[in-house]
Amino acid sequence: MKLRLEGIGHAFLGRTVFEGLDLSLDPGEVVALIGPSGCGKTTVLQIAAGLIDPLRGRVRRAYQRHAVVFQEARLLPWMTARDNIAYGLRVAGARKKPRLGIAERRAREVGLHPNDLDKFPIELSGGMRQRAAVARALAIDPDVVFFDEPFTAVDVGLKRILQDLVIEAAAREHFSALFVTHDLSEAVRVAHRLVVLSGHQQGIVADRVIAGQPGQRSDRDIFEIVEAWSRDPAFTELFDGGRDT
Amino acid sequence: MKPVAHSLALAGWAGRYLWSGWAGAAGLFCFAAAWQAGHEFYGSFVLPSPLETLDAVAALMREPQFAEAAKATALRSLAGFALATGIGTTAGAIAGYSFAAMRLMRPIVTVILGVPPIAWIVLALIWFGSTGGSAVLTVVVAALPISFAGGLEGVATRDRALDAMARSFGAGMWTRFRTVTAPHLVSYLFPAWTTTAGTAWKVTVMAELLSNSGGIGGDLATARALFDIPRVMALIVVVVAFALFTEYALLHPLRDQLERWRSAGLPWGVKR
Ligand SMILES: Nc1ncnc2c1ncn2[C@@H]1O[C@H](COP(=O)(O)OP(=O)(O)O)[C@@H](O)[C@H]1O
Ligand SMILES: [Mg+2]
Repeated sequence: MKLRLEGIGHAFLGRTVFEGLDLSLDPGEVVALIGPSGCGKTTVLQIAAGLIDPLRGRVRRAYQRHAVVFQEARLLPWMTARDNIAYGLRVAGARKKPRLGIAERRAREVGLHPNDLDKFPIELSGGMRQRAAVARALAIDPDVVFFDEPFTAVDVGLKRILQDLVIEAAAREHFSALFVTHDLSEAVRVAHRLVVLSGHQQGIVADRVIAGQPGQRSDRDIFEIVEAWSRDPAFTELFDGGRDT
Repeated sequence: MKPVAHSLALAGWAGRYLWSGWAGAAGLFCFAAAWQAGHEFYGSFVLPSPLETLDAVAALMREPQFAEAAKATALRSLAGFALATGIGTTAGAIAGYSFAAMRLMRPIVTVILGVPPIAWIVLALIWFGSTGGSAVLTVVVAALPISFAGGLEGVATRDRALDAMARSFGAGMWTRFRTVTAPHLVSYLFPAWTTTAGTAWKVTVMAELLSNSGGIGGDLATARALFDIPRVMALIVVVVAFALFTEYALLHPLRDQLERWRSAGLPWGVKR
């Protein structure tokens, strides 16, 4: 067990988002958190990552380092891609030379060309920025990575490539991950386990192990799982009229 | 290889910066032409010609006492600039972070703004007499509100999403200020600082003139008393030159270096 949320409840300005939520991450496990827009997925992730304090319940962490990949790349506009990727290392107090070396290696892993590393975020395409954001998260050798709908804004072809990057990195480096998405096929593609958050403050309404391993499921497998689950009552909220992005 | 690329980029920037000076020079020559026309219309006693003025400037430059006076004025405006931007920016930044501090400091700044500058000079004269202190104080109160507003705006409009990103890596208050808030703040502060730099020169000369405390303002008072009009014009030109020098030779290059990331996205030819 790397991370456990116990009886978490949260409200914004008195308006309850969810109550009594339990969730845990095993070592090396990628859990997809899915739910309709506005159901509180980002809130769960922020609580898990310690960015906001929950009103009720507690978060137990059994790891050293975590990193977050946000929906937008959130690169610092005044730093080059290289310095942005090394940002987490800089915060952790790493010296300049080694941290830039690590940044360059991570940039290669996510498919950024060395020439792009001297550019400022404003000079990079949306996809390149998101690659840099993934590289920045991986650069600190995290034990747990939180992804908050990281690839919603990129086009379909690139989305697959970036998903594959995450799948490979998770398999190679054995970090645990909480992957928030509202896209069921993305969830089925990248995760070991799927958790559905209710849109009506009922907490987690389904918790399923996804057959097979991420990266080894064929498109056909994924399609069939998605088809079967989309007829499942637990998932109806995702698909009925309320579904949006 | 990197230092070479870096110095090349720097040389390119310096070339572009100097080249952009031509446009400025063209504007200045238009102004000089209008000045000359005015001179021909009203005569030397009211408006000495640009050339006469330049002669007077050259004569001024040869006087050893003038160097002393210019130095005194420069030091006073520098002190006023440093105090105004230092106190103003710090107070503004604190107000930007803390709602309570903002509620407390806003009225103070409003009151400072409401007092006419000439009243400050009178007060400064009473407090400091005929010393440089009155010029410095006048600059500080005249320029402090702009820096305060810049600091407040800059901190209040910081990108909270980037701040959350930095916190997700465990960055403390100081690191977050340095890497997330400060670079953003700079773009709000530069307009305030350039205005302050210009104000500092002008207000120092004014306060010196009124408080009779030497410096270029003191020279100006003497020249006026002697009806030495070319000298009056020369002193004005010198003050304007100092203000322009501060802005274009010191502040703008500094800003361009700090904000390279902003112009990086512009296509070639739009750079300035
Ligand atoms: N900072 C905030 N202040 C007030 N309400 C918020 C805030 N953040 C989120 N909410 C509300 O909480 C609910 C859940 O938001 P969020 O966790 O972002 O949903 P999701 O990520 O699933 O789309 C939404 O109704 C949203 O309006
Ligand atoms: Mg969200």
